[in-house]
Amino acid sequence: MRWQTDMNRPANGLKQGGINRNWRSGVGKLTDIDKIISSLAAVAEDPLGYARAWKDRTQGKVIGILPMNFPAELVRAAGALPLLIQEDDAAITYGRSLLFEFYCGYTRSLVDQAATGKFGGLDGLFLVDHCVALLGAVDAIRFELPDLPVYLAQYPASMDEPATPPMVRERLGGLWRKLEQVCETTITPEALRAAIAASNANRAMLRRIHDMRRAGQIALSGRQMQALVKSAMVMDAAEHGKALTALVALLEGQQAEPSNRVRLHLSGHFCHAPKPELLDMIESCGVTIVDDDLFTGTRFVATDIPEDGDPAEALARWYFDRNDNVPCSTRAQKSADWESYLAASIRRNGADGVIVLVAKFCEPHMLYYPELRKMFHANGIPHLLIETEHEGLPLEMVKTRVEALIEGIRQSGRTRETA
Amino acid sequence: METLVQTDQARPVFGNGLKANKLKATKFGGKLVSEYWESVFRAKEEGKKVVWYNGTYIPPFFHSHDLVWVHGEAWSAMLAARHKEIGAQGRSDQRGYDRELCSYARTHIGQMLIELDKVKSGHHAMAADDPRVETMLKLPAPDMIVNAYPYCSSGQQWDDITYRTFGKKIPMFTIQIPLLWGGRPDAGYMQGEEWEERSRYVAEQLFALTKFLEENTGRKYDYDRLGETMSFVKKAAELRLEAMDMCTVHPSPASFFDWIVSIAPVNFLPGDQNLVTYFEGVKAEIAERVKTGEGAVPKERHRLFFDGMMNWNKVGWLADKFAQVDACVVAGRYTHMSFWQEPQLIDLKDPILGMAQNYLICPNNHGAPIMIGEIEKVCDKFDIDGVVCHASRTCRGMTNAQFQIAGSAKKYGRQAMFFEGDVADESFYKDELLNVRLEAMVEAMDAKKRAA
Ligand code: SF4
Ligand code: SF4
Repeated sequence: MRWQTDMNRPANGLKQGGINRNWRSGVGKLTDIDKIISSLAAVAEDPLGYARAWKDRTQGKVIGILPMNFPAELVRAAGALPLLIQEDDAAITYGRSLLFEFYCGYTRSLVDQAATGKFGGLDGLFLVDHCVALLGAVDAIRFELPDLPVYLAQYPASMDEPATPPMVRERLGGLWRKLEQVCETTITPEALRAAIAASNANRAMLRRIHDMRRAGQIALSGRQMQALVKSAMVMDAAEHGKALTALVALLEGQQAEPSNRVRLHLSGHFCHAPKPELLDMIESCGVTIVDDDLFTGTRFVATDIPEDGDPAEALARWYFDRNDNVPCSTRAQKSADWESYLAASIRRNGADGVIVLVAKFCEPHMLYYPELRKMFHANGIPHLLIETEHEGLPLEMVKTRVEALIEGIRQSGRTRETA
Repeated sequence: METLVQTDQARPVFGNGLKANKLKATKFGGKLVSEYWESVFRAKEEGKKVVWYNGTYIPPFFHSHDLVWVHGEAWSAMLAARHKEIGAQGRSDQRGYDRELCSYARTHIGQMLIELDKVKSGHHAMAADDPRVETMLKLPAPDMIVNAYPYCSSGQQWDDITYRTFGKKIPMFTIQIPLLWGGRPDAGYMQGEEWEERSRYVAEQLFALTKFLEENTGRKYDYDRLGETMSFVKKAAELRLEAMDMCTVHPSPASFFDWIVSIAPVNFLPGDQNLVTYFEGVKAEIAERVKTGEGAVPKERHRLFFDGMMNWNKVGWLADKFAQVDACVVAGRYTHMSFWQEPQLIDLKDPILGMAQNYLICPNNHGAPIMIGEIEKVCDKFDIDGVVCHASRTCRGMTNAQFQIAGSAKKYGRQAMFFEGDVADESFYKDELLNVRLEAMVEAMDAKKRAA
């Protein structure tokens, strides 16, 4: 049986800009779920504010880290807070005189945050680079904030070569030493093992939530899902783990319900978050986002760090495992294809189509998008490319394109009823 | 001066209407480049294996093993310089490549797709006046792919796309050329622990490259031959640097644009006597000009440094543009800080380590503080009044750090300006903006000189 289209129902019961009024939950559960997610969303919206408060509370060091290959566990093992720097919402002002307008919004936002004094609370900025634009941004930050320790560990982007693993190990060793110096402590293997275990546990809970979403068991909105992952990127692991434990317990009690909404997979944006308003808009077109390969989603939670053996070696292994698991177009690996991964995900999650979110001027994404497109055509997968910008998008205009995609899917009879 | 020529009537009049006084000796380079491409096109007929590569100047490894090599960037630059890039870029648009993507990569990939189209459909499927027919008749498909791209991640990914486009069937070897970030206390230009470690790391991979070539040709690698090839390259590189050094005089006998057209010989042409002959010719002409006081710009009043990747569609146009405001672009990051820049590091009996080191010091492979320090040294040496940054729209590899470069220039009392363009996509070039900014910069330099 196919369900009637109900375009009047708000996307997942979502109020624009607000949190999900979870229409499947009982009243008591709804309040508790919302409460937990709201508190995590508040942190996700103001990570630098959270870090300031954490620092005041603990007197610990805060280390800014950049996506997406940096092992935050090493910072945690040094007793500091790893704060994965997010794109912020402020208009780019001083940043315009540090990077050209033909750089992606994330890098321009980074340099703008540096130039407008927002990194004042950081004790260091560390990264494992992933693209040429990021290197430009970090050099600009070095000049802008000469007193901030900035440390780059460049991992080779080509994953297959025999010369790559030794270099990754060597770079990790450098990170380890530099972090000890900046954090004025010794990082012990035991502390690193504990940090890895804590991160893995949190990732497992986030993965569980993603699985529940895929199965249609829960109806968290894209905005809410993003808040869960973004908060993981910036919060103290124990604090985040506590919130997740409570949340998962509440979500486990939910039941799958039939839905006739179009099921979409969101792809792309592999180093920073798409704007939540965009996710709201997509969902408001009668869409359920069932899965993704976004950095602020599956890509971030998919891969655990091995817990057995030498923890330093485990961090090196993680770099390779992540690209095996969810290939990223910032890396070059002969044996891994983003497009094959995506095709397999869509088979598994039963998505009716894909929206690809590409950050404007994102060089690695522009290079690989045609590979995805070929796969979409070969498999008859309806898809839409949306180019995102720091300055935001004319949402009403983009909405007509999303609606056209949805209409096409419905008319083709491709939608799959779920239960 | 005998070389003054009236402005081409087709061009809008700008400044004094004079043209750049180009070196004549570089014409020999044009001949060498044409011969090189001809030899590439004949490769399959001659039963030679073909390597496609991108990145740094590794052809001596191929040359010494009797291979034919196609440099993707050189191919794109050549198409752009001959205004033949449009067909290739159109084909890549069709495939879904965004026009904001590196136009070198787009042009090269577009041509590759045209080649594959031909294989699938036969030459006759194209109309005789299709620009693709003329530009892309004979480029041989690769038997091997080698990537050795410093600094820019797109450089590695571009070859990954090539590998995929050929169905993942062509053997591929990637050489990692790590960035010299300069984060350690002992770091500096060609010094410190990082420099030593990275040099060895790249050298080991170059050695592994020779094994890869052996495996894919079934022939033993001849290291003596590599030494011999490098003897020509080293000699040519020394001559080039000596000739560059002669340009410290006023007026400068050669300009950045002469050095731009002299890149092919040190970048990808075969390492043989022709290279040496080429730079002997260039050096002799420069020496003659020094003697007679002849400048690369008819009336040199200001001396500039060019930062950024070349705008290959506009080499002649830009050479004239600066000449028209009596400004000689004497040096540049692309020309003066790369391409066998430190030949003394190459030991001809065992050249691999020195080759690795020359690859590492590609102009943007240093973290900005060290790179900018080196730029300032070049500017001091050539008595530079102003820095012109080419904000090449789709090449972030070369636009990174340009604001810091401009800032540093100003700090040391030089003027600085930006102009918009691109490496191989002409549509990003904005002529009128360049005119206005260049005039303003010249006025400022005039005012400063008057005040002094
Ligand atoms: S991966 Fe893309 S979006 Fe991320 S920093 Fe690089 S260019 Fe920007
Ligand atoms: S962006 Fe520039 S440096 Fe990078 S691959 Fe393209 S031409 Fe080379």
